[in-house]
Amino acid sequence: MNTLSKIPSASGKGLWFLLKGYKIRFFSALFFQAVAVAAGTAGYFVLRFYIDDIINTGDWRFPLIYFSLFYIAFALIRGLFSFLTARGTGATAEGIARDLRNSIFDHTQKLSFSYHDKTRTGELIQKSTSDVDTLRKFYSEMVAGLSRILFMFIINLTSIFYLNTKLALFSIIAIPFIAVMSTMFFKKIHNAYESYQDQDGKVSAAVQENLTGVRVVRAFARQEFEKEKFEVENREKFVRGKRFLMNHALYWPTSHIICAAQVIFGITMGALMVIDSTLSIGDFVAYIGFLNTIIWPIQQMGRMIAQLSTSWVSYSRVASILLNDQEDLTSGNDVKELIGDVQFKNISFSYDNSAAVLKNINLSCKPGESIALLGETGSGKTSLVNLLPGFYSKDEGELIIDGIPIEGYSRHFLRSNIGIVEQEPFLFSTTIKENITYGVKRDVTDEDIFKAAKAASIHDSIKNFPEGYETMVGEKGVTLSGGQKQRIAIARTILKDPKILILDDSTSAVDAETEDQIRAALNNLMVGRTTFLIAHRIQSLIKADQILVFKEGEIIQRGKHKDLIEEPGFYKHVFELQNKIEAELEEELLHG
Amino acid sequence: MAETHFKEEEFNNKLSTKTALRIFEQAKPHWILLIGFILCIMATAFLEAFGTYVVKLAIDEAIIPANKELLFKYLFTFGIMHFILALVVFGFIYCAGRLGEQIQYDLRKKLFSHLQNLSFSYFDKTPIGWIISRLTSDIQRVSDLVTWNLLDLVWAITNITSAMIFMFIINWKLAIIVAVAMPVLIFIALRFQKYIIGEYRKVRSINSKITGAYNENITGVKIIKALVREKKNLSLFGELTDDMYKASYKAIWLSAIFLPIVQLITAVAFGAVLWFGGFQFKLGLFTIGGIQAFISYITFMMWPVQDLARVYGEMQQAVASAERVFSLMDTKPDIQDRQDSIEVDSVKGKIEFRNVDFYYEENNPVLNNFSLTVKPGETIALVGPTGGGKSTIANLVCRFYEPKKGQILMGHRDYTGFTQQSLQSKLGVVLQTPHLFSGTIMDNIRYGRLDATDDEIIEASKMAHSHDFIKELENQYREDVGEEGTLLSVGQKQLISLARAILARPEIIIMDEATSSIDTLTEEMIQKGMETLLKGSTGFVIAHRLSTIRNADRILVIEQGVIKEMGSHRELLKEKGHYYDLYTRQFRKERQRDLHVFT
Repeated sequence: MNTLSKIPSASGKGLWFLLKGYKIRFFSALFFQAVAVAAGTAGYFVLRFYIDDIINTGDWRFPLIYFSLFYIAFALIRGLFSFLTARGTGATAEGIARDLRNSIFDHTQKLSFSYHDKTRTGELIQKSTSDVDTLRKFYSEMVAGLSRILFMFIINLTSIFYLNTKLALFSIIAIPFIAVMSTMFFKKIHNAYESYQDQDGKVSAAVQENLTGVRVVRAFARQEFEKEKFEVENREKFVRGKRFLMNHALYWPTSHIICAAQVIFGITMGALMVIDSTLSIGDFVAYIGFLNTIIWPIQQMGRMIAQLSTSWVSYSRVASILLNDQEDLTSGNDVKELIGDVQFKNISFSYDNSAAVLKNINLSCKPGESIALLGETGSGKTSLVNLLPGFYSKDEGELIIDGIPIEGYSRHFLRSNIGIVEQEPFLFSTTIKENITYGVKRDVTDEDIFKAAKAASIHDSIKNFPEGYETMVGEKGVTLSGGQKQRIAIARTILKDPKILILDDSTSAVDAETEDQIRAALNNLMVGRTTFLIAHRIQSLIKADQILVFKEGEIIQRGKHKDLIEEPGFYKHVFELQNKIEAELEEELLHG
Repeated sequence: MAETHFKEEEFNNKLSTKTALRIFEQAKPHWILLIGFILCIMATAFLEAFGTYVVKLAIDEAIIPANKELLFKYLFTFGIMHFILALVVFGFIYCAGRLGEQIQYDLRKKLFSHLQNLSFSYFDKTPIGWIISRLTSDIQRVSDLVTWNLLDLVWAITNITSAMIFMFIINWKLAIIVAVAMPVLIFIALRFQKYIIGEYRKVRSINSKITGAYNENITGVKIIKALVREKKNLSLFGELTDDMYKASYKAIWLSAIFLPIVQLITAVAFGAVLWFGGFQFKLGLFTIGGIQAFISYITFMMWPVQDLARVYGEMQQAVASAERVFSLMDTKPDIQDRQDSIEVDSVKGKIEFRNVDFYYEENNPVLNNFSLTVKPGETIALVGPTGGGKSTIANLVCRFYEPKKGQILMGHRDYTGFTQQSLQSKLGVVLQTPHLFSGTIMDNIRYGRLDATDDEIIEASKMAHSHDFIKELENQYREDVGEEGTLLSVGQKQLISLARAILARPEIIIMDEATSSIDTLTEEMIQKGMETLLKGSTGFVIAHRLSTIRNADRILVIEQGVIKEMGSHRELLKEKGHYYDLYTRQFRKERQRDLHVFT
């Protein structure tokens, strides 16, 4: 598969670069276009001979059918070559669009988190779809459209020169005027169109807002007020639409008059030459044909140029994705298997060189140990675990896994050996079965899948779905509750069988029964794996081999539960508060 | 089932006369513009053909006989003709464009107004994106149908007819040759368009899959990286783009072969004209000007034929769009005011649910024979698991839905006898996810009572305890809340929506407490604001916070559509049932959260 790398940043260069691999096809298509135009012109020459040499002279040496056949033959050539042109430019455009789509897709999934953190999804999708489409049209329509006008102009003007030089010069007097006027007008039209489109966006936004707020609108009985509000935007669109339309309504008749004046002038001069016998009548008839094909298409030129400029913008928008560096996923050694011994030595970390979120962290955990991380939001728990799969890179210190610094492993290898269960797991819109087997490289049997699902206490729920394991997740299928999603993510991780685990044991929005099930599932999962647990419950802490209390990027306390509750400090404080809560509750329940 | 209803292609693409007539009805109020552009475009097509005829006459009668005087006469006519042509070009662009904008404006207005009356049951099952497409792209296509598509059609017909007429005038025998070629051309054009449209439909459908894949790839990027799926995902995506390439290539191929075929057939027709024309010329029945005219006519006739396929395809799409627009327009609201509905002036009395049944989907009952009497001024806390029926009760009080069976009485009168406007203007609603409209904070609070003065608004804001944080903002009450209130925290938005409700001076309060985490200080403010709001009014609160629950006059534990337990906080605790479990769990959770440790 073709994915692009190292694209130029300048649009002009970039549009040329994208043609790589398609140049022969594309430029031959443009060449075929010239042939097709020339064949059309040749048809008029047939006509010229027909009139001058046969009809007008009364010389019937050639059977008439020859002329018909010649004419048809040129039309055939013209048809064949226009077909080749459209096919060639079309195939080029579609091919480039495919390369771009694949590249953007691949690139986005390999971009670092620091990129994704600051980029909005909607914006990325916009660039991947409509800008790619603009570029596709650039190759399929815009370039071909412009070159067609140019070829018609050059070939037919040359033909007029061939017929009569003076006449040719008389035919192009108005051309600069039309060209300039067209370019200027279309700049205006383009601006009017942009402002019309902006307003279109506002109208959509107004509808969107009204619909998402429908409950508030109804609850306050504000329908009339909403209608008035919408009227403002609606009316504005109407006004801008009229402005846009007025530009068109002025441009076309005005340019028509200039073009027509040029045509009439040309015809007059030609006719006078015929009368003076400096031009043959056959030449004159052919001339009318040529003249029409050089004058009228110039009217469109401004539009083509305005469209071309949008491609420049689209290229730079697409490039703004592709020019970002990808993560290095593959370089580094892959050992056979991880054991799960993890050492953090003087680790410091910050996001994009802003304030440090981890300061001088030291930590050592043996294979199979469970480490509970405790602390407020933003204290550094998540940042710490995000270093393990190489989602972010530390600023200072050493992170050593099984005796080898983390830089020695490829990111792919690390990620293949680390399992993550998030607070709100992401499931893909495919079947439940595929979601469970999503990260697994080896072949798995249905038995394996069921076993994993059972261990994650989700098998029975899945069995109850309309199509069992083949049930689609999301819009096209079942809507899963938070607890179900989490258990499917656990099953997925069980099947992946990693040596190191990162868990978020939040069960904020589930009922007691589900909570017990999830806890059981997590306990099953943790057996024999080095586990980093972002703890939300005291129960998880009690069993942990090490508890780390985080504050402002530092570990302020560490140890086992039974030791920590003896030692004065944050943990003891929390634990006592916890007990106090229970006492309060007792009290509350007794006395109300 | 539900989602196929929203698929673009599901609607009939056949031109039904009923739909067509209805589309033209939209243009009726602006019939002058409609007639105007039709006349102008007909004039345009006719004048173009006429111009060619003038040139023919000039060649035969002035140029060849070398009659300069007559030549200038013809050229003058030709010039005048082009001048008129410029005028009618202006005419049709202006009239058609203006008509298009008018129709779009009218339809948007109509649809938007209609949406304001539709019931919640409609919004529950219709995605917002679907509705927005009706109001934007579909309306656009409907207006295009009555304007540009119709214009193209009229132009094509007039162009072909006038060209044929002039050809018959010049030489009827040769004109017959051309006339024979026309049906062949049109037949081929229609044939091709069917295949081409089919391919483009395929392209569109793959395209939406590609967009979906992008979306998932971006939103799920963390798990994709964690599960090392990049390669597999790319190859799956590659299959999609390959399909896209194939379908597009086929569509291009078909279009690319279509044009040359049209050109070739016209060339054959003209070739025949040259052949027979030669013999006719020998007999003095055909002229050089005639030849020139024939080639112009035949060349110009080719464009509309070639365009026909595109226009036909667009019209088909437009009809489908029109049907979707009309189907939205024809949707009847479930809840409508009756002829005898009264404007209720107060709903302060007692509220009674009498044997109420309710469901959203036919065989999935939510409330079953539900009865409840609420005294004036009482605050009812609704607690229980998600999907148990709490929100349904609140929705029914608001009359966002009406009972399927049974009655809801307010002050001894069935509330379905009130006009919706009069009933709902007496309600104060605070939603779980507070919705703010774009605009300033002031605008948002004023939404509660449109004629409120700035002072009254600030007063309400103080009562809601939102004044303190608003004061701290750079522009205070003039601060823009940003798109859907993104600049404010959930807690702050809730405070503003409390102020909005307080300003409305409601008689019945319906509140759904936020579940998302709000900092302690803001939460305290919300508590106080709620107390102010609930004082003296009858209130229904879907409660999540302990303090709210404890402060309620009566607590209802709702599970599976029935009242499992009912009573005061103390009474219910003693029962050691559902409420007891719920309360202890919530107690631990809330107190733990207060510790700021387990976030």
